[in-house]
Amino acid sequence: MSRRWRIGLTSIFIALVVGPLLLAGFVAPYPYAEQHREYPYAPPAAVRFVKARPFVEVGGRWCEVRLLPGNGRLFGVAAPCVIFLSGTDGNGRDVFSRLLYGGRITLMTGLLSAFLSLALGLAAGVVAGYFGGWPDWLLMRGGELVMALPWLYLLLATRALLPLHISAVEAFVWPAAVIGAVGWVRPARLIRGVVLSGKERGFVLAARGFGAGHAYLIRRHLLPLTGSVVVTQATVLIPLYILAEMSLSFLGLGVEEPMPSWGNMLTEASHYHALILHRWLLAPGVAAIPVLLGFLLLADILLDRHD
Amino acid sequence: MKYLGWRLLHGVGLLALLSLLSFMLSQVAPGDFYSQLRNDPRMSPETVAALRAQAGIDRPFPIRYAAWIVAVSRGDFGYSLAYHSPVAPLLKERIGATLILTGAATLTTWLIAVPVGIWSAARRGKWGDRVSTVAVSLVLAVPDLVLAIALLHLSVQTGWLPAGGKISRGYAQLGFIQQLRDVAWHMVLPVTVLVAGSTPVLIRHTRASILEVMEAPFAMSARAQGIPSRRLLYRHLLPAALNPLISLLGLSLGSLLSASLLVEIVTGWPGLGPLFLEAIMARDFAVVLAVVMLSAAFLVIGNLVADLLLYRFDPRIRTVD
Amino acid sequence: MVLFLRYFGAVVLVVLTSVYGASGDALVLSGVTGERGGTLVFAQRNEPKTFNPVIAADAASRELIQLVMTDLIHINRATQLTEPALAKSWTVSHDGLHYVLSLRQGVRFSDGQPFTADDVVFSFQLYLDEKVRSPQRDLLLLEGKPISVRKLDSYRVAFDLPRPYAVAERLFDGLAILPRHILEPVYREGKLAQAWSVSSLPTEVVGLGPFRLKQFLAGQRVVLERNPYYWKVDQAGIQLPYLSEVDLEFAGSEDTQVLRFQAGQSDVISRMSARNFAALEKDRVRRGYTLSDVGPGLEYSFLFFNLNDLPEGASPEVVARQRLFRRASFRRAVSLAIDREALVRLVYLGRAAALSMPVPLGDKAWVNAKLPHIVRSLPQAHQALAAAGFSRAPDGALLDPEGKPVEFSIITSAGNAERVQMATLIQDDLKQLGMNVHVVPLEFGSLINRVFQTHDYEACLMSLIDSDADPNPDMAVWLSSAGNHLWHPEQKTPATPWEADIDRLMREQMITRNRDERKRLFDRVQEILMENLPLIPLLSPDILVGAKNGLGNFRPAMMDHYVLWNIDELYWRAEAR
Repeated sequence: MSRRWRIGLTSIFIALVVGPLLLAGFVAPYPYAEQHREYPYAPPAAVRFVKARPFVEVGGRWCEVRLLPGNGRLFGVAAPCVIFLSGTDGNGRDVFSRLLYGGRITLMTGLLSAFLSLALGLAAGVVAGYFGGWPDWLLMRGGELVMALPWLYLLLATRALLPLHISAVEAFVWPAAVIGAVGWVRPARLIRGVVLSGKERGFVLAARGFGAGHAYLIRRHLLPLTGSVVVTQATVLIPLYILAEMSLSFLGLGVEEPMPSWGNMLTEASHYHALILHRWLLAPGVAAIPVLLGFLLLADILLDRHD
Repeated sequence: MKYLGWRLLHGVGLLALLSLLSFMLSQVAPGDFYSQLRNDPRMSPETVAALRAQAGIDRPFPIRYAAWIVAVSRGDFGYSLAYHSPVAPLLKERIGATLILTGAATLTTWLIAVPVGIWSAARRGKWGDRVSTVAVSLVLAVPDLVLAIALLHLSVQTGWLPAGGKISRGYAQLGFIQQLRDVAWHMVLPVTVLVAGSTPVLIRHTRASILEVMEAPFAMSARAQGIPSRRLLYRHLLPAALNPLISLLGLSLGSLLSASLLVEIVTGWPGLGPLFLEAIMARDFAVVLAVVMLSAAFLVIGNLVADLLLYRFDPRIRTVD
Repeated sequence: MVLFLRYFGAVVLVVLTSVYGASGDALVLSGVTGERGGTLVFAQRNEPKTFNPVIAADAASRELIQLVMTDLIHINRATQLTEPALAKSWTVSHDGLHYVLSLRQGVRFSDGQPFTADDVVFSFQLYLDEKVRSPQRDLLLLEGKPISVRKLDSYRVAFDLPRPYAVAERLFDGLAILPRHILEPVYREGKLAQAWSVSSLPTEVVGLGPFRLKQFLAGQRVVLERNPYYWKVDQAGIQLPYLSEVDLEFAGSEDTQVLRFQAGQSDVISRMSARNFAALEKDRVRRGYTLSDVGPGLEYSFLFFNLNDLPEGASPEVVARQRLFRRASFRRAVSLAIDREALVRLVYLGRAAALSMPVPLGDKAWVNAKLPHIVRSLPQAHQALAAAGFSRAPDGALLDPEGKPVEFSIITSAGNAERVQMATLIQDDLKQLGMNVHVVPLEFGSLINRVFQTHDYEACLMSLIDSDADPNPDMAVWLSSAGNHLWHPEQKTPATPWEADIDRLMREQMITRNRDERKRLFDRVQEILMENLPLIPLLSPDILVGAKNGLGNFRPAMMDHYVLWNIDELYWRAEAR
C-alpha cells in the first residue's frame, strides 16, 4: 500500500476517533454534570434492534432511540427513559457523555504539554549540542536540576499560590503547562546527543567550510537529523502525560469537579471495588487505546521516509 | 580524567543548588509536619505550637538551611519528625529493596527491548514488524497504574502470585535458596508492571534509530558493495545507532531510585516509594530532602556515565577537551 | 520414688502455672471461653512510626501500642462502660475531686519485673511533663490545670482533680502504664522522645498488654507474641490471650487491605468503605469470611462556612462572601436544600445515617431525640432566602440582597473519595437554589492550613471522629476559645451571643456529675446548634468490618479499635486451625 494511502487511512481513523471527542457537545446524549440520582452505577444499556430501529430497555420498558431528536444532540430517548451506553458513575452521571467531554480535555492537555516539552526540549537540545561550551553546561546541568526537583512539592506550592477560584480555562492550562515545562529535559538530552554527533559529519563540516552561518546549518542540516527522535518522543510523551494528569487529579490538582477528564474518571475506576463491581467505569482506559494507537501509527508512517 | 573531576564537582554543586531550591519550596508549600495535628480536637494549639518550636521549624529560613548544611557535613542527614529517629537508618533499609526491583526491571527491559527493536527494524514493512508495532503501541496505551491494580486483582483471583509485599510469613525459617525464591516470587508482579511501562518506549527508540542509520549513505554504500545484511547490522549499523540508546541508558540508570515509586506504593513493596510519598504528604521534610538528594545523586551519576559512554562509543563525536 | 514424685510434681506445677497461672490478682473474665493457639494476621493501612506511647501521635502507632500496653481503667467497647483494668477498684470522694485507685497485686511486666504504684506515678509524670510535650498531656488538663498523682502505698494511687469532672474515670482509658525500670534512666537523660523508636530492640519495649513485641521488619510487618505474664484469665482459669502470635502487615492503601483480605492473606479487616464492603460481599461464601455492619459509628461529617474575623489584607472576595455566610437564614437554606438521603444512598450505599444534629449517631444516648429531623425542602429553602432579601435573576441565578449572584467554593480533602462525591452532590443540590458552587478538592495539608492557619477559604466539607461516646472529647470544637472551633477558632471573647451560651452550657456539663442533668444541658446545646447551624450536619457512616469464619469471640464495636479491642479474647475455633 503506498505511503500516501496509509497516511490517508490513518488520518481518517484518527478523525473518526477524535472527531466525536471534539464534537462532544453534539454527540453526547447528556451534559457531563447531569446527575440521574435514581441510577447510580447503572450498567451499560442493552440496545436491541427491532425492524432495523434501535430500542433500549429501561426498567422493563422498551424505549425507542431517536436520531437528532431536536435538542441539539445526535441521539437520545424521550423522558422518562434513559440511555446510558456505558453505564453511569456513582453520582448517576452518564459515563459515555463524560467520556466524550473528558476525552477532549485529556487530549488537549496531553497535546499541549507534549508540544511544550518538545518545543523547549528541541530548543535546549539544539543550542546545547551545537554551541557546546557554557550554554551546553548550563542547559544540561539545569536540566538535571529540573529532573531532580521534587515536582510534587512544586505542584503543591503553586496550587497554594493560585487563588481558590480559577476559571475553567486556567484550571486546564495550568497543569498542562507545569507538566510540559518540567518534562523538557529528556527530549533535550536525546536531541543534544544527536546534534553533537551530527555537527561533526562530513557535509556539515563542509558547509561550515563554505561559510554557512549557524542558523542555516541548524535549520538545513541538523534539525532534520532530530526528526526521528522528536517524533518518537512525541508519541511517547502523550500517553506519559495522560498518566501524569491522572496523578494530578488524584491530588486535587487537575480539572475541577464536575468537569470530567480521563484522568479523574480512571482514578475512580482503578479502585478495588470498581474493578469487581463496576467494570464499565474503565471505559476511558479502553477508549484511550484507539486514540493513542491512531497517533502512534501515524507517527510510524511519518518516520518511514521510503516505502 | 580532568573531565571526570570537573563533572563530579558540577555534580556536587548541583546537589547544593537542589537542596537550596527544595528548602525554598518547602517554605512555599502550605503547612508543615505539625499542621495535621491541629485537626485533632484532643490536642490544643499551644501543644502544637510547642512541638513546632521544639523541632525548630519556626526558625527563619536561612538559619534552618545553615543548620542543615552543618549537619550534613558531619554526616547527619536530619531527623524524621514522624519516626522520631535519624533519617539515615530509615533510608538504609529501603534503598536495597528499591534497587533490587528497579535493577531487575531495567535489566529485563533492555534484554527484551533491544533485540525486539532490532528485529523489528530488520523486518521493516513486513508482517512481523507491523504486528510488533501495533502490540507495542497497545502496551504503551495502558496506564501502568491501572495495569498494576488489574494484575493485583488477577493474582488474587487465581492465587498464582502474592498480593503484594516482599517476603512471606515464615521467611526467617526458610533456607537461603528458598528465601531467594520467595523474594523473586514477590517481585514478579511489580517488575512486570515496570517492564510493561518502559519496554515499549525503548523498543520504539531502538527501532527508530536503527532505521535512521539504515538510511545513511555509508550504510547504503555498504549494502551496494554486497556486505551481507546481518554483518552490516551488527558490525556497522548498531554501533552508530547507539547514540540515543546511550542517552536513554544514562537516564535509566539515573532513575533507578525514582522510577518505581508508584508501583511500590500500589503493590506494597517496602522500598523508598511508600516512605517518600508518606513523607511528602506529612511534610516530614528531612526525609523528603534526603530522598531527593539521593535520587539526584543517582541522576548525576547516570548522566555522567551516559556522557562518558557517548564520547567513547559514538564514532562520530570527537572528544571535546 | 520420692524423687520421681517431686520431679513429676514440679513438671505438673510448671505446666499448670504456664497454662492456668496468671500472676497474682488476675482479672477473671466470666463468660469468656476459648482455646489456645494460632496466629492472627491483620493488615494495617500505614506503618507505625514509633512504639513510644508518650509521644505517639499517629493512628497506626497507637493501634500497635494498644496491643502491647494496658491502662488503669478501660472502657469496654461493647457496653461503652468503664471497667477495671490494672486498677481492680476505686473510690471517689464526695466532692468528686479525689480518686483513690487500688492496683492489682502480683502483676508482672512482659519482662517479668513486678508492677507497682511507682510505675503508675512515673507514667503520669511523663505524660504531664511539659518538657516532654506528650500529645496525651492535653487530655489530663481540666480548664488548663493538670490533674496530679500521689502514691499512697505500693498498690494504691490517688488522683487529685483541680475541679470536678463528670467522667473522670474515662480519662484513664488508653493511657498506657509504662515500666519505670526501663524508661526512668532514659527520661533522666532527657532522651525520652528517642526511646522505643522503630529501630529499637523488641526486648526493650516492655508493657502490660496481652502481647509483646517479637520482630519489626521496616515497611513490611510487625510480629507480636503472647505475653506470658498477662494478668487476665478466662472463665475456666486459662490464661489469656488465646492467640500465640499476631502479625500486623502494612498494606499501604485501603485497596490493598481489601485485596489481601479477599485473598485470605489477612484474617480481619476493619473500617472499610461501603463500596469495598459491597465488592467483598460477592466472594463471601467462596472465601469463607463474614462481613458485619455494626451500625453508625462516632464519625460525623458536616459542611461549614468561614465565619472568622479576617485581618486586613485578606482576600476581598472571601470577606465579601462572608456577609452572606453570616446570615443564619442563608445557612438554614443551604441545610434545607441538601438531599441527605441521596448522600446516604449514593455515597455510602445506604450504610450511613443522615444526621439532623452535629452529634454522631454512634453516640445515640446523647442525641437530642426531641428535636425534629431535617427534612429536605426546596420550597422552604426558597422562602427562607426570599425572606432574607435574596431574589432570582431571569436566568435562574440566585442574587444576594445587594443584587450580586451567589457564588462560592467548597474545599474538601482530595484523598477522601467519599467527601469529594458528597461535595459534588451538594454542588448539584445548591444549583437548584440558583447558587453557583465550585468544588475544590485540596491535598490534606493544604486544607488544614487554610482552615486553621490562613483562614483563606469559603466553605469546607469535613468530618470528625469522636474518641468516646460522650460530649466531652469534643469540647475543643464547641468552646469558642478552643483551637478546633472550626468555623471561627480561638476567639478571645465569644463573637456571638449563641456561642457564649454554648460555652457556658458546655463548661457546666463538664463538671456536673449527674448524668440526666448533663443530658439536659447538652440537649440545650444541640437546640442552639440547630437554630444557628455553624456546622451543617450531613451523616454518620456505619462501621463495616469483616473476619474469617472460625474466628471465635469476634465482637466488632463501633468505637476504636473496632475489631481488635478484645484481642485477648479472640481465638481460632478448632475447625479453622
